[in-house]
Amino acid sequence: METSRRRRRAWGRAGRGSVPYLLIAPVVAVIAVILGYPLYYLVRISLQQYGLFELIQHKGIAIGLRNYHSVLHDQVFWHTLVRTVVFTAANVSLTMVIGMLLALLLTVVSAPVRVLLSSGLVLVWSMPVVVAVQVWYWMTNYENGVLNYVLTKLGIGDYSQHDWYGTPFSQLSMVTLLIVWGALPFVVITLYAGLAQVPGDLLEAAAVDGAAPWRAFRDITVPLLKPILLILTSLSIIWDFGVFTQPYLLIGQSKITSGNYLMSIYLFEEGYFKTDYGRGAAISLLMLVIVAVLSVVYVRRMVRIGVSE
Amino acid sequence: MKRRSIVALCVTAVLAAAIAATTSGATQKATGNSITVWLQTDAQSGWPDVVAAANQKFQSDHPGWTANVQYQSWGDHLQKLDATLAAGGGNGPDVVEMGDTETTKYMAAGAFAPLTKSQFDNSATWLGSLAKSGTYSGKLYAVPYYAGSRVVTYRTDLFKKAGIKVPATLAQYQADAKKLLAKNNKKGFSPVYIAGTDWYVAMSFVFDYGGGIATRVSGQWKGLLASKNSIAGLTAYKNFFTAASRASKTTDETHPNPYDVYAQGQVASMLGPSWFSCCVGKKYTGSTAQFVMPGHVKGQAMPGFLGGSDLAVPVTSSNKALAADWIADFTSTSSERALQKKGNIPNATNLLGNTVNERAASRSWFVPTAKHWVDVENGNILRNMLAQILTGKLSIKQAAQSASDNIASVLNQP
Repeated sequence: METSRRRRRAWGRAGRGSVPYLLIAPVVAVIAVILGYPLYYLVRISLQQYGLFELIQHKGIAIGLRNYHSVLHDQVFWHTLVRTVVFTAANVSLTMVIGMLLALLLTVVSAPVRVLLSSGLVLVWSMPVVVAVQVWYWMTNYENGVLNYVLTKLGIGDYSQHDWYGTPFSQLSMVTLLIVWGALPFVVITLYAGLAQVPGDLLEAAAVDGAAPWRAFRDITVPLLKPILLILTSLSIIWDFGVFTQPYLLIGQSKITSGNYLMSIYLFEEGYFKTDYGRGAAISLLMLVIVAVLSVVYVRRMVRIGVSE
Repeated sequence: MKRRSIVALCVTAVLAAAIAATTSGATQKATGNSITVWLQTDAQSGWPDVVAAANQKFQSDHPGWTANVQYQSWGDHLQKLDATLAAGGGNGPDVVEMGDTETTKYMAAGAFAPLTKSQFDNSATWLGSLAKSGTYSGKLYAVPYYAGSRVVTYRTDLFKKAGIKVPATLAQYQADAKKLLAKNNKKGFSPVYIAGTDWYVAMSFVFDYGGGIATRVSGQWKGLLASKNSIAGLTAYKNFFTAASRASKTTDETHPNPYDVYAQGQVASMLGPSWFSCCVGKKYTGSTAQFVMPGHVKGQAMPGFLGGSDLAVPVTSSNKALAADWIADFTSTSSERALQKKGNIPNATNLLGNTVNERAASRSWFVPTAKHWVDVENGNILRNMLAQILTGKLSIKQAAQSASDNIASVLNQP
């Protein structure tokens, strides 16, 4: 503490406070170019009529807030929003709960099992999303998927030619499985690293005092892991709310209808398929606001933890 | 406290911005003197030799130039085209293949360069509907490439084993399906393979019973699917599907490709473009033949969807004259004759023959020629309706009514 304060004073004398700004300048410049400008452009297009004709002319027609008005008065938008929120909540809670259970499992199993389990997780992680979707698609295939074959062979029922993509609910459930499966490695490995930081003597003391394992987990492990849990949860919310590749490819374009839209797919269909980029831009900005609202609580707490340390 | 909230909001906004970012696939431009041609994968699997011959002709006419053909899929080629139109700067394709239901929207938006009709073989006798789909305000923007009607491709050995001949009516075909099923009790075997949401097949039933998709009444589009005749057609489709096809009720006709299931020996007959005969598998090539799909009235073929493709030059192309030359090579009389041999309908009436495919074209239907029709296709309104009908989620009447209203509202957009 003492040394750092002295160093800061020295910097202040030499550079009159400009050095920190210089240090942060490259990052700000990069963010401005790769995020700031596209964001500005997005806002501009969202206030324009920008269809195929305007795309070729490279010039939109200003129409004020009409795009927002039409999106907010679209029944499909509100249905999609509710569906996406429920979908996100299911994905994030499944990811976090199963992730935590697997991380705890990692701390108690023997070394060889741990190596086996973590290499399995790393393999999942290293698989590109598009490849993973293809593999899942084949496994759950209607004609000759291995899932139907195994379920039938196990005598669970006649699953030959069972359609796993028959209803929106089962379509999105398959997507949830795929997403949670793909999200687990990152969550498990991060939580496992966090669990390694929980002092063993604290847990031991709790055990000596007669605390049950669940109690020790709730009152010692979770509070210590809180920063990590918050970061993982907020990142998961952001990823799952805007997820596109998995649902779009697994369900397949020819089955995408307004009855199974997720937010990102709604955006894609309205913006790209109908070549109405102005409306698409308005939807994506609304999405941005929604995600900000959804995760602001978490990020605020995260910042508070950072400050109090 | 307040500042912390602002920091929090900023962090959130930056993170959230990441989800708003979308990427677009850029086209791969070959180096050197070359033009880029986008064809659909149909050409890749059905007639790669015809493409190669056109390239050869092009290269010998233009020494030092090559044609770089890149294959696209129907599902996303328009999004890719939009991306190259947006980018401009001559980096996109010089020639694109467009479905004849897709061209209107693009011609209206000024996406294609005008072409000179006299440069192309047989332009005076081009098939009417194809020529129309490439013309806008009296100017030619897209050259007819080929058309295709839909026929039944079937296993002659299985038909023989079941003791049946080519059916003369729909009812007879449905009865034959039961006979075929009795002789082949392998799980998942389809006497007539039809993908549940194959709307090209389903609408053929609708048109056979005198129904339709939509019609224009004094400037406004009106949905026709809930009409009495259309309902009769949809009912016939459901009955036929239930009796004859073990394909998924909710999947389209490319997942899997019907001919792949056929090549696995799981299909006695299938409905689809006549070029399906290309890919029935070595084992069944000798025992495969085609016939015209019968309608419900004896002696009348079931109307089939007359689909077709056009070739156009995007305004962003930097080699428009060369692109037009390549199109002329690819649609030359000899090239069209070669396409005809593969089971396609050539682009001009003077080239027409008497194949099963060309006979099937005698009764045909086409989608409503509306600017927003392509949105109906992309929105999967018809596919969704068929899935609802076949799975029994909605009654035929309910599903048809909701699809009909939906289609009318999409087509009536400004």
